[in-house]
Amino acid sequence: MNTNHQERARHLQAEELEALAIPGDHRLPARSSAHAAECDRCRRDVEELQTLHVLLQALTPLQPVAGFTDRVMQRVRLPLPWRVRVLQAIRRHQVATAAAFAGAAAAVGVGLVWIARYPELTPVTVAAFLVQRSTALMWDGVMEVGRFVYGSGIVETAQGVAGQLTLVTAFVAVATVTLIGLASLRIMLSLMEVDPALVSSHWRLGRRVRG
Amino acid sequence: MSYKEHSDQDLVRLCLKTDERAARELVERFERPVFSLVYRMVRDRELAEDLTQEVFVRTFNNLQRYDRSYKFSSWLFKIAYNLTVDHLRKKQVKTISMHGSPDAVTPERQQATSLSLESDEESPDAMVEARELAGYLEDAIARLRPEYRTAILLRHVEGRPYEEISDIMGVPLGTVKTYIFRARRELRDLLEDRWDDGDEE
Repeated sequence: MNTNHQERARHLQAEELEALAIPGDHRLPARSSAHAAECDRCRRDVEELQTLHVLLQALTPLQPVAGFTDRVMQRVRLPLPWRVRVLQAIRRHQVATAAAFAGAAAAVGVGLVWIARYPELTPVTVAAFLVQRSTALMWDGVMEVGRFVYGSGIVETAQGVAGQLTLVTAFVAVATVTLIGLASLRIMLSLMEVDPALVSSHWRLGRRVRG
Repeated sequence: MSYKEHSDQDLVRLCLKTDERAARELVERFERPVFSLVYRMVRDRELAEDLTQEVFVRTFNNLQRYDRSYKFSSWLFKIAYNLTVDHLRKKQVKTISMHGSPDAVTPERQQATSLSLESDEESPDAMVEARELAGYLEDAIARLRPEYRTAILLRHVEGRPYEEISDIMGVPLGTVKTYIFRARRELRDLLEDRWDDGDEE
């Protein structure tokens, strides 16, 4: 009883005054409203705060002069999707792009001619050869690190293992390389501050731009 | 669906797809509140327009860095607040009257730096009274410290919650409460004569 009386006698805190003065979804203990009804000082504080709030809310919203939006829009450069940036770069550097494509086409052509010289080579054997070479290269890379860490003793052992690569180990190696590639792409996108969720929409937008 | 019906977050997503109409809608949606805040901080229409323009340019140029878990308006106000406070610090702009900058030496400059007040009141007497009261209030706000001014404008004019003001100003919640409490007390003191007149009436 005594505690209740003391609690009710306490003047309202800033939050309570605001909850009473400013309409909103504040939840106020019943004792605060009861106190405000009884205490002249708190009632006056609530009224003052109400007046100030109403006055401030009634301040005229100011607005910039006509044409402001247009001026802002002239200066704004919205971030372009990377697909569009690539297409723009290609358009800007048409000669260099054409040269790069010609070089790549020539390399592929030379490769095909070289393959054609060996009739015993089929697409399957060529693919198997490429997978084996790339896997061996990857292993070499790993071994280089191993050599650095453990010394040369382990390298011969590993080379022996690499020499006995089976189709299964080659598959595992390709899968590992793919996963590393995807992880690198994700890291690259994050470094470029591109939201991966937007990549597919960028791709569609790129197609529309191209079309 | 019209762009006006899109949420801020949807518009930001569209902006990231280089949709200029979405960007325009965001500018139109926020130019008044941002300009009002900046203007009440610097008290110079030209300067306020330049700063507001810069706020939007910076916002859109950095849109890819915008954390979407954060309210867009808070982010925008944060940029506006930081830019304006930086400007005030650099230039050490004086707190000035609504009747124009003390540095204004020509009537034209005085006009450019003064605050124009509008009222929807119909009666000429009421309009004059409202303008006068608004003038006193604007003057009183102009005398507050920039931190107090920002906090009280965001709280009472923009209706932002305390937590959001704390995010915008980059200060703890307790500090925001202190700013607002002191700002109210100072406004109360600055408007004391008017307040008493009102009480007597």
